This record gives sequence, structure tokens and C-alpha cells, in this order.
Amino acid sequence: MYRRLKDDLFVLFAFASALLAILPIFHILFSVFYNGIPVLAKYGVEFLSGTLPPPNKAGGGVFPAIYGSLTMIVLSLMLGIPLGVFAGVFIAEYPSSSISKAARTVLVIILEFPTILVGLFVMAVMVIPMGRFSAIAGAFALTIVMLPYVATYTEQAIRSVPQHYKEVGFALGLNRFRIVFSITLRIAKKVFITGLLIGMAKVSGETAPLIFTAGNVWRSTGALNEPAGAIPLWIYYLVQQPYSNYHEIAWGAAVVLLAIFLVIFLSARLMVRS
Amino acid sequence: MSAITIEKLFLRYGEQEVLRGIDLEIPENVCFAIMGPSGCGKSSLLKVLNRLVEMNHNVKISGDVKLFGNSIFKMDLTKLRRQVGMVFQIPNPFPHMSIYDNITYAVKCNGIAKKKEELDKIVEWALKKAALFDEVKDRLKMRANQLSGGQMQRLCIARALALKPRVMLMDEPTANLDPISADKIEDLITELKNEYTIVMVTHSPGQAARVSDFVAFLYMGRVIEVGKTEEVFENPKNELTERYVTGRIG
Repeated sequence: MYRRLKDDLFVLFAFASALLAILPIFHILFSVFYNGIPVLAKYGVEFLSGTLPPPNKAGGGVFPAIYGSLTMIVLSLMLGIPLGVFAGVFIAEYPSSSISKAARTVLVIILEFPTILVGLFVMAVMVIPMGRFSAIAGAFALTIVMLPYVATYTEQAIRSVPQHYKEVGFALGLNRFRIVFSITLRIAKKVFITGLLIGMAKVSGETAPLIFTAGNVWRSTGALNEPAGAIPLWIYYLVQQPYSNYHEIAWGAAVVLLAIFLVIFLSARLMVRS
Repeated sequence: MSAITIEKLFLRYGEQEVLRGIDLEIPENVCFAIMGPSGCGKSSLLKVLNRLVEMNHNVKISGDVKLFGNSIFKMDLTKLRRQVGMVFQIPNPFPHMSIYDNITYAVKCNGIAKKKEELDKIVEWALKKAALFDEVKDRLKMRANQLSGGQMQRLCIARALALKPRVMLMDEPTANLDPISADKIEDLITELKNEYTIVMVTHSPGQAARVSDFVAFLYMGRVIEVGKTEEVFENPKNELTERYVTGRIG
């Protein structure tokens, strides 16, 4: 009797904890859609193509932010994925070399590093020498934020594949490059793609590293070496304004951000499955 | 000429000495079994023959191994591994590739064939050699990991044969298979030894007796006895060999 009760209590407790853990996510999703969808409906397509309106004036949109975010995400992926993947491959394939030991330590440090400091670092090495904020500097900061995720997951993916697949690769006369990219990473593609996904998701939502690098603008020229807007930056600045239409736009922008995030997430999921 | 000549081979991993002076002659087109209890160094010895053992960074090797007269340590690695195929203890076809791709991938990478018709021919030939063709001919595009364990192991044999090796190394090829599948592999080995030199590692004296022409008994990194299989099993000269083949040590 007593043991039954203890068992039931445990299950109840585990269930409640699980619920408690996922509730905030649903709350966020719910409040973003609840507040944001009506904004999108009200502004229509202009919300995606327009620019920021004057205070308390109807209409307008977040195009410069979407443009800035997408260019910086794409740039950082182009830079960060190859760098991260090769770093991960190196660490996994030559674990005892001193470079790979050092790289592993540095990656762990970046992983735990407050991202605002990454922004400050990029400001010191890029923004100040260039004399202005820019999309490139923002993308570079995002790359640094993304690197450890991509590298660590790549390393784990390679390590998760049983050694005998690598052995048979060598026994068939394949070189190390082919073994890693055509065999090991393909076998462990779930872990590998998860890493890319987390890296992408991470950079698509980051705000802090952009403050001192991309600078933020409400109207952009689109040039990569000039300051850029970004959806999370806009949300961050808009909610601090005293105008109600800016708050509306911030909620709408949050839906757009979430949509970009979900697209990345779902497409990666589909890739893993097929 | 011998297919493989091993001369004064010593091997150690760091401080641990695994092979302590091996001398062996392996004739051409026979099945040569290396038997012995676990940890006697038989797998390490096999992996020296295609230099796979060098994947381990702290390995130290001295002595020489000649493949048809040429030292394998002076040979180009890719060339060596094309001549010496290997089948492992765990059936390990690439799980993300189809049956067809499993066979053709290394063929393409090694530049043996590129055109589809050539590849098709090689696939059919290799699968027939491995006695698998009839079972899978209608589903060559199926993922290899959907085959049974025994079929997977025969696919691995086909994959190795597709590179047209002269020597096949087999590291306990039936250790992870059910008795019926194991039986098929043993039949296949008996078939293949007419054209290939097969060096097989086994911890089962019974298997060595069934399929091999020559056998070497390895114990604690040394060759205790070597000779024609019948002679070693019927008239072992060394007491240790006798105790091993009669199941008193193992």
C-alpha cells in the first residue's frame, strides 16, 4: 500500500515537473501569437515590406530589420558552418594534438561567454578600425557565437559513430576526408544537423552581440559595410519607446522572428527525417 | 611464391608488447587461419597486414611483412589496401547507403570504375561472388541496414571483393552471426579460397578445422605451432596446442 503510494507520488511529481518545464515555452508561443498575429492582420503585407512609421501613425513595417537579420544570418552561416565543422572534425580526428586541446578549451569558453562581450570584442577589432557599425561586424559577432555549437556537435557526431566504420573506410582505401564527410558525418547526421540547427537558431535570435556591432538602423541602404537593423534589435529598441504603434510593431516583429526560427527548425527536422 | 611473408614481427602499444617475434609464411590461394585465445594478438597481427593497426597512434612495429615479395611498409597505403581487402567481426555495411552504393562507393573513390554500366557489372559480379545476388537483386537500392546480419556480412565481403583484392583478411567473420548464417559464410570462404588468399582470425578451433588449409596457433603474442590444418589438429607437436584444440585452454 505504502509502496504503491510512493510510486504514484513519484510519477505525479515527474509529470508535474515535466509540465512545469514546458509551460513557459507554450506561454511564450501563445503570447507572441496572441499579441502579434492581430498586428500582422492589421498591417497586412506592408508589415513585411514597409519601413518604420513615425510615432503614433498607422501603417509601416519592419523590412529593414528582416533584411538586416537575414543578411547577417546568412553571412554568419557562410562563415561559421565551414569554420565550425572543420574545427569539430579536427578536434575529433586528432584529439591528442595540442592545437585540438587548445581549440576545445577555447570553444568551451566561448560557449559560456556572455554574448555582449563577444559584441564588445568585435567592436574593438572591427567596428573601431572601420570607423562605423556594419552588417559584416554583426555577422562576424554572430559567427563567434555560433562556432562552438557547430564545432561541438560536429565533434560529438563524429565520436558517436562506432570506430569500426572508420576502420572499414580505411581498409577500403578511402582517405580521411572522405571517411569523415561521406561516412561518419552521414551516419551521425542527426547529431550533426542538430548542431547546425542549434547554431542557426542561436544566431537568429541573438540581440546582445549586435548592439555594439550592427549598430541598428531604422532605414538601411542595404550595403554590408554599413550599419544594419535586425529583428531582435528592433524589438529591443521599440518596446522602450513610449508610442503604442511601436509596441504593436514589436509584437508583430516577434511573430516574424519566431516564424524565421520555426522555418529553420522545421526544415532541418525534415532534412534529418528524409 | 608465398602470398605473405612475415619476418620477425614485433608490435607494441605503448609499453604493452602484443606480438613478440612472429615469423609466418602464408601460401597463395589458401585459407590460412590464425587461432588463439582472446588477447593473444591475433587481431593485431591481422591488422598489421593491411596496416590498419597504424590507426592507433602509440603503436610501434618492427620486423617486416612482404606481400608477394614487396614490403608493405614501403608500399603506398591506398595501393596496399586495394590488394588486401578486409572483413570485420561486426557486419558493418555503411548504414546510410544502399546495397548498390555500399559496393560502388569505394570502387568510385579508388578510381576503378566511374561509368554506370561498369559499376552495374561490378555490383552484380561482387554480389554473385559473395553468394548474395539472388537474395537482393530486386532491391539493390534498399538501405543496407535492412538486411539480416548474415546478409550484411556477405555484403561486406562483396564490398571488399569489388576492389579486386588478392588477399582477404577476415577478423572473426562469423562471431556475431547465428549458426545458419555463420555456416553460409564458412561455405563462402571455402569457395573463395580457390581464387583469393584468405587470412582468417578465429577464436574457435572448430572453425579453423572446418575451413582452413593451414593454421597457426598464437599464444601470448608468439606462434606456438603452425602447419597444415589436419596435421596440427591430429598430431599437435606442442602441448599448448593440444590443450587448445581439445578445448582445455581457450
